[in-house]
This record gives sequence, structure tokens and C-alpha cells, in this order.
Amino acid sequence: MHRPSDRRDLPARTAISKLRNAAIAALLLVVTHARADEQLVAPQPIETPKAGYPNEAREHHKEGTTVVLVTIDVGGQVTAAEPVESAGDASLDEAALAAALKWKFKPATRAGRPIESQVKIPFHFHAHPAEGPHTDTPPSPSPSPSPSPSPSPSPSPSPTPTPTPDGPVAVDGPAGVEAPEKTPPVAADATVPSYESSVSGKRAPSRGASDYHVDVEKLSLVPRANATDFLKLAPGILITNEGGDGHAEQIFLRGFNAREGQDIEFSVDGMPINEPGNLHGNGYADLHFIIPELVQSLRVLEGPIDPRQGNFAVAGSVDYHLGLADRGVTAKFTVGSFGSYRLFLGWSPNGGQDGTFAAASLSQTNGFGQNRDGRQAAVIAQYEGHIGNNTTYRIFGQAFLSSYHTAGVLRDDDYRAGRVGFYGTNDPNQGEQSSRYSVAAHFQTRAGRVIFTNQLFGIARPLRIRANFTGYLLDGQEPLQTPHAQRGDLIDLSNMAWTVGARGSGRVSFKIKNQPQDIEVGYFARGDFVNSVQQRDSASTGHAYVTETNLDSKLGDIGLYADLNLRFARWLGLRGGLRGDLFTYDVHDNCAVQSVRTPAPDRPLNDASCLDQEGAGQHREPDQRTTTVGGAFLPRGSLLVGPWKGIGFTASAGKGVRSIDPAYVTQDGQTPFASINAYDGGIAFDRRFRDFVDVHARSVVFYTGVERDLIFSQTVGRNTLAGATSRVGSATNVRVTGPFFDVAANLTYVHATFDDTGLLIPYVPDFVLRADAALFGDLPGKRTRIWGKPIRAALAAGLTYVGPRPLPYGQRSDRIFTLDANATIGWWLFDFGLSIQNLLGAQYRLGEYNYASDFQTQGSPTLVPVRHFAAGAPRTVLFSIAINYGAKR
Amino acid sequence: MTPRFCLLVATLASCNTTTGSDLLSFGGSAGGTSAAGVPFTTGSGWDVTLDRARLHLGAVYLNENVPISGSGEQPCVLNGIYVAQLFGPLDLDLLSDALVAFPTSGQATETRARTAEVWLLEGDIDRTDDSTVILDLAGTASRNGVSYPFRGSVTIGTNRATPAPSLAMPGANPICRQRIVSPLAVDITPVEGGALTLRIDVRGMLNGLDFSLLTPDGAGYVIPDEAGGLGGALFNGLQASVGVYTVSWR
Repeated sequence: MHRPSDRRDLPARTAISKLRNAAIAALLLVVTHARADEQLVAPQPIETPKAGYPNEAREHHKEGTTVVLVTIDVGGQVTAAEPVESAGDASLDEAALAAALKWKFKPATRAGRPIESQVKIPFHFHAHPAEGPHTDTPPSPSPSPSPSPSPSPSPSPSPTPTPTPDGPVAVDGPAGVEAPEKTPPVAADATVPSYESSVSGKRAPSRGASDYHVDVEKLSLVPRANATDFLKLAPGILITNEGGDGHAEQIFLRGFNAREGQDIEFSVDGMPINEPGNLHGNGYADLHFIIPELVQSLRVLEGPIDPRQGNFAVAGSVDYHLGLADRGVTAKFTVGSFGSYRLFLGWSPNGGQDGTFAAASLSQTNGFGQNRDGRQAAVIAQYEGHIGNNTTYRIFGQAFLSSYHTAGVLRDDDYRAGRVGFYGTNDPNQGEQSSRYSVAAHFQTRAGRVIFTNQLFGIARPLRIRANFTGYLLDGQEPLQTPHAQRGDLIDLSNMAWTVGARGSGRVSFKIKNQPQDIEVGYFARGDFVNSVQQRDSASTGHAYVTETNLDSKLGDIGLYADLNLRFARWLGLRGGLRGDLFTYDVHDNCAVQSVRTPAPDRPLNDASCLDQEGAGQHREPDQRTTTVGGAFLPRGSLLVGPWKGIGFTASAGKGVRSIDPAYVTQDGQTPFASINAYDGGIAFDRRFRDFVDVHARSVVFYTGVERDLIFSQTVGRNTLAGATSRVGSATNVRVTGPFFDVAANLTYVHATFDDTGLLIPYVPDFVLRADAALFGDLPGKRTRIWGKPIRAALAAGLTYVGPRPLPYGQRSDRIFTLDANATIGWWLFDFGLSIQNLLGAQYRLGEYNYASDFQTQGSPTLVPVRHFAAGAPRTVLFSIAINYGAKR
Repeated sequence: MTPRFCLLVATLASCNTTTGSDLLSFGGSAGGTSAAGVPFTTGSGWDVTLDRARLHLGAVYLNENVPISGSGEQPCVLNGIYVAQLFGPLDLDLLSDALVAFPTSGQATETRARTAEVWLLEGDIDRTDDSTVILDLAGTASRNGVSYPFRGSVTIGTNRATPAPSLAMPGANPICRQRIVSPLAVDITPVEGGALTLRIDVRGMLNGLDFSLLTPDGAGYVIPDEAGGLGGALFNGLQASVGVYTVSWR
């Protein structure tokens, strides 16, 4: 065994020292350059203590890079540090973390005012190539590689501090590994310390392997029909839609048929999207108002394991983070199949303020079959500003309009007999008009060591849905009614919701035994004022012939939570806390009586829907008010162990809640919440290879039990109460990013059953596989440059496989296999794109259902459950041209 | 799904699970009974020899609901879930044992059915008027040495309309109810590969008829196609839920 030798370490020590000094100089240059930005200045390192090279690691030739994400407060202190990529050895990671916590900075500033920020610091542990592996290196302190800011071997962009919605500012540094175009080539000896940024901003502490922070980045190149499609980047998600393009997507997640949001809490930069009291589905969440180009990242938290998650977080929660990647002014025009066209306009200022942008889109299509035409317009704008040195605010506004016709579902026997085409319809009166208007104000301020965040929001949400699931089945002759034939089952639902609310938190960070700790307490409050009416329209006249529901609901929800982020050692953390929610219901049913067995003979009620009699003809008013209240306490927590060699282990548990549909509220009754218990355990792997390839992988096994579930009823036209259910399964997700590629894949298996019978829950897919890939970069060679400007090119594809899904009555659906592809080529200000969705031209069924319907297509009424389906889109080709002007390139 | 893949999936506890029940298609047939082709005695003591008995069928349905007696306010389409449906139209010789196959396959779920319905008309069962001859029969009835050669037919249109019991309940007696024979008690669970058989014994339709009330009409006696009197009695026999229709599964 070799003995330590000072003489042999000297060259390495000298080389590293030179590199370190050069790095600091470069960083200062970069920071100086950043000042020219006039907006934001990156934090400058003042004290950069070395990381010791652990003896054992050195003796075993262990090398690698640990990337530590540090949070720097306005005083320049590191208040939190977290290894985000492992060197593959726990001792190296620990050494890097210990050093990072000792760094001191001159804080980042905006317009001269100090602000909180985050940076990533890679600590490279490499032996000097001239010496080979140092098995005889002396113990620390030693001339081992030490981290420090360094020059990049290639030109680097200016650091551009980026305001983030819920935390400090992230800084784009000179060597962003997640932004491949910024990544320098790495020398063979690769002891190039660098100082880099988080490109995705401040993130909430990870809750384990079920917590997916998804940066869209280059996977935005994969064709996506709308913002909901980005959810496919997280494992276990299937998106279907039997209501047409303008209808909220039906989302399946981890064995939950979340319908249009009843089991997933959706938000956009913290502002809630779910609609309590929506008659079509309590928790209905229509994401179409989100302009896809604005989706920068999303956090998909699968399972109720974070105290911040509120109502509807049964299967999990999704928060969209919006911004505009292309700075300056962007205009994009798309035209293609089925008379589709779309115009997108976007603007965001140069200077790194992701928080300020404006965008609008306008689109129209004739649709890919009968009765599928639609029009849509959306505007989203946000401004970010500052008050004093310690307060950042954002003002958000949004408007959205859409009007669509929908084909609805078709009977399989009708299609097979040629009575209706695959892309046909049975009822051309189906459609939807949907709007959403919202404003929000977000404030973040620092008082000492505490960061306060508050958000106020207001939402107006008109919605009308006309859907016919059953044809002419449900309008049976009632004794009170004038004799009639079936008039048609077209549901005509209108819902008008007004929402006001606020959420906020206070977070304090501190250290115990040099380990960063956080405590956060927060609140959430919203009031919803909803008028919802559901009628049935006559097919012959288009007039409503019966009112089934007419509710005025005042719904309240106040939640409080406390969340601890404790780290006992570098390899052991505990995150979690307690949440409590109080729900109030004040429901005024304007149509409380719809049937009387023995009406007064002299006072016939005939065809009126909302009756003013009760038994034996006694008078009563047709309305009824119901009030009740319910509360829930929801403990949630995650244990995080590791990482070692990039591998960490997590275990999480939590309770979730879904408030009751106002239609089921009873006076002072035990409010029948759906109570959810979720458990999961997982393994995560995060590691960088060769300093430019990042690999993130995780695999989770999970169990979720729901005390009282909801199942959609086609005859009622909305969700109805069902019994207890359980889900067991696993989800695996891999993402590999590099300088010219970005690849993600996920696979989910789930077994979802009713507790009482052990039978499968229908419609929930067992297997879901999704893969996204993008290749991108400038074309190589001088000849590919025009007027000195390179030609950009990108290829992207998305693949979806969904195994046969269980359907009612022991059936299985067809499998779904689709491939979408996109190619773009760009030069200077211009980009040209060709996007093909369903490249293989598969004629597939997006949704399949078994239930009874009678569309009067056969000789006698069809009353037995049979297969129905909603057609998936055929091959769709879209051409686009985009121009981006004014961005610094 | 290949066996190997299925084995893998089964390992993950999926292949052998189901949502329960099954959807299936089945064949069906209907016929009369040869016992009606020979002289027989009705429940009211008439010796009857039938020369002709033909029945028009619209459809047969099975429902999982238990039959409810005295179902005066039952809607035409029963509440509960329909288990099977088999569509005609079918015209039967009720004097023959020979089974006649329904023109198309039926559809069913693998669910226990407790009620059967015979729909006497196909198409819109709510239409106000209809001239389709549902039942057409002829024969001779005799008692105490007196014979009555008779013929009769049944249609279900405005002639079967029943007035509402009160202004408050104008829809209490819809015409559709006159066109459905229900409830017929059954205990059937359709399974794949099975078939439904409907036997109709016309003898049971005549139990309530007092042929002595017939009035002569040229070549014989005619049972009037009307709601009251003998016509009403024959119609009641046609709608009898016991003793006429037998639904079985084999």
C-alpha cells in the first residue's frame, strides 16, 4: 500500500489552486457582466472553503461530482443546502455538502437591492491525470480538488437571477448543466470547478420518490394537444376525453379515475383550478385556459404526502409553473389538418424576469369528424415587481373563452353495423361553452429570517355542457306527466362559479449541528359561490323539458398547516407535518321536490319539475336549504435516507381528503368526506456522468385506500357515491438529459379494486407507458451557417402505450398505442415546424365504456349494457412558423 | 396477450382479476305448444279447438329486478338494470312446437335476471296508434253441446288506451304498458354459449273468455278488438303473466 506523499500531491494541489483562482476570477467577470443587465446581479462568493477529500474515497480511487443546491439569504449566508446530484459516493457528497454550508456570498441583488437566491455548486472530486489515482494521498487537509467558481472553457451566458414564485431567486450561471447549450465541453481531467444555477428556480423540498418536479425544457418539442398533455411527463397518467376538445380532460393517475379533477388538486402557480360544487364533477378542473407555450415546469406530487396539499388531493396534486422561455416578442402561426389554425403571440422582457410575460392564443378547427368544430381564445399576463428591498410581488391576469361541439360516445354495435361512422356522432346537439377569468396577486417578503408569502386570487367561471351519454333511455313516463314518448337524454348543464381566496405561509430557516432546517406554517382559504342547473333538452325542440338539479351553493374551505423540514444528518431527513381543513356547506336546492306519489286531485302538477306539494297533496315550497360543516385532520410525512452513490430511499405516508359534492349534503349530517390513506416507498437515483449527462430515475411502490369513492354514472351524467376502494402499484420514471438530447420514460402498474368484492375498479388502466425524447442542437459545420448564424434543428417524439383497461362486466378495452413526432428547423429569428400527432394513423378508441343506452338506431329500445367508445384523433399534421424578435441571443 | 406475458402479468396479480360479470351475445327462439293444436278445455270449462293462432312478437327482455305484484305505477321501462335483450319481430304459429329463431343475436350481461318482459311490438312502443295484428286466432269453442266457431284478432292502438285515473296523474296508464307483458318471473343467469327459449301457450289466453257472449257475424262469431267485453278478456289473456309465457335458458 502506498503511503501518503506530500511531494506527489504537490502538482495536483498546484493545478487545483490555479483552477480555483481562475474560476473565481471568471465568476467575478460573469457577475460584473451581469450587472450590465441592470436588473439582477448574481450572488458573489466571498468565502469558498474547500471540500476535504475523504481518505477512504481517495484510497479507493473514488471520483465524481456532487452538485449542491444552496439557498443564499439577503445577508449572503447559506441557509440551506441540498445535494441534488450525487458523486456516487456518500462520503464525497457529505464533504461537498459540509463545504457548501460554509460558503459565504455577497447576496444577489435586483436594482441594487439584495434578494434571496439559489445556486448550484458542483464539487468535482478528480485526481490529477498526471498522477493517476491517488491511493497514497495524504489525509485531509490535502491538496485535493476543491470547489470554486471557475472559468468555463466555453463562453458562458450572463448569470440571470430568476424570480421564482414561492421562494428565492434562482440564478443562471455560467455552466448550466440543465441547459445544454450553456454546458462547456469537459476536459479529460475534468477538474473544472464551476458555479452554476438551478434553471428551475426555488423548489419546495422534495417529498421523496413520489414527488416529481418536471422541467419541461426541451421536451416541450414533443407534440402536445394542450397543457394537460404535459402531465404525461409524470408516471401513471392517462388522459382521455369523451367530451370533446373543449371539455376538461379525464385524468387517470395511480389507479384513480380522477375524472375531470375530482381526485387531483390542480393549481397554476398556487392558484387553484378545481371547482368545488361543479355539478358535472365536484372538483372539475379544466386546464384548457393554460397556454401550452407558457408551461415551464410542473410539480406532480403523487399521493397526499405534503401538508400543503389541500382539497381534492386524493391521487395527488399538480402545480403548473408558468413563464415564457423565449424572451422578446414571439409570434407563431400554425395551420394543418381539419381546417385547424392557431395564432400565438408572446412577449417577455429580456433581463431574466421570468415573472413578467404576456401571451395570447387564438385557434379554430373543423375537427377530425362530425360535430367536432371548435374555437378558443386565451390571454395570460403577469407582471413582477418589487417593493423596497425585501418584497417581491406578481400580478396575474387571465381570460379564456372556448366554444366546441362534441361528438360524444358511440355504440360499438352501431359502428360495426355501419349505422354510424367511427368519427361520427349520434347527437349533434352536444357541445360546450367554457370561460374562465381570474386575477391573482402574489407577495413575498422577508422579515429577518422569516419569508412570508401571500397570494390572493379571484376567479369567475361560466360553463355550459351539453352531453348525451344515453340517447333516449331515461325519459320514462311518470304518472304525473302528460303522456309522452322518449324526448331525449341530452344533459344541459350550466354552472356559474365565483371564487375568492388566499393562501400564504411563513417559513423560517436555521441550522442545527450545521444541518439546514426549515419550519413553515401556512393557510389556505377559499369561498365558492356556485349556481348549477342541470336540465334535459328535448331532441325535437331543443327546449328543456325537465330540471333535474338547481343548486345555489356557498362553499367554504379554510385549511391550516405546519410543515417541518428536518435534517438530522446529511443522509437522514424528515419532512412533514399536519394539516387541518374545515369545510362549510350552505346549499339552497331550488328544486327539492321532483316527485309526489299522491298529488292533490284538484291541483295537477303535470310536467312541472320543481313541485310544491308533498304526500297527500299538502303544500310545500319547492326549495330547501341545507347547511352542514365538516373537518379533517391530515398528518403527512416523508422520511428521506441517503443518497449514497446517488441512490436515496424514501418512505411517505399521509391522509387526504375530498370534500363532498353539494348534491349529497344533508342537514347537519355527518359530512361524508372521502378519507384517503396513502403509503409509498421508493428509491431514487440522481447522478451526473461525464459532467454533462444527468440521469434521474426513481421507482415507487404505493398503496392508497379510499374510504368512500366516487364513480361516474352515465345515466346520472355525473359522479355518484360508491364504496371503499384500494390501489396497489408501482411507478418507475427515468429522465436522461445531455447537451443535445432529453429523454424521459415512465411505466406504471396499478391494481385497483373495490374493498368489499375485490373486483377491479373499471376504467382504471393497469399499465401505462409513456416515453418522450428530443434531439436538438445547431447543425455542425461552417457550411450550415448562413450569414454567420447557425441553423438550429430538433426532432422530438412522444410514445404512449396503455394496456387493455378493465371495463364493467368483465370486459377489457382495446390497448392504445400512439406515436407523435415533431421536427423543427430554425435560423436566426425564425423557426419552422412540422408536427404529426398519431403518426402511425392508428384508429384507436380514446375511451371505452360499458353501459346501457338507446340512440334509437335499432328496431326496439336497446336497454342492455353494451360497449361504447369515444374516438381518438386520427393522424393530424400541423405546420408552424414562428418568429422571435428582440431576445438577446 | 401471449401466455408468457399473461404469466408475467398474473404474477403481478392482474390477469386473473375482473370487474365481475360478463358481456355476451346469445341466440334465442320462440314457439308455441303442440298441446294447443289439439282440443283442450279452458279454465272456465269451454272445450276449444283452435284452427289458427298466430302471435306477433317485438322483443324479449330480462331484468334483474324482482317482479313486483300490483305494479300499477311501474314505468314501461323498468327501473333496475336490464340483463338481456332479444329483438324480433317474430311471427309465431302458437299451435306448433317448432321453435323459430329470432332474426338477430341477443345481448346480455352475465347477471341474474328475475323478471322477463315480452314486448309485443317492435319500434317505438309509445306511439299512440298502431294497427299491427298482435294476436290472430280462430277455432271452435263448445260447452253443453253448443258450439261457437269464433275468430278474433288483437291490435294495440287507440283501442287499448286507458283513461287516466285523475287529472293529477295523466300519465298513469301510458299506452306503452299495454304493449308489454310484464312481469314474468324468471331466475336466469345468461352465460356465454347459452340460448333463450320462449314458449307461449295460447291456451292460457282463453281462460277468461265466456264464448257464450259472442255475437254472430256472418260466417261465425267474432271476438271484438276492443278494450271491454270479450275483447278485453282476450287482451287480458294475452297479457297474462302466469300460465302463458315461459322463458327458459339452456
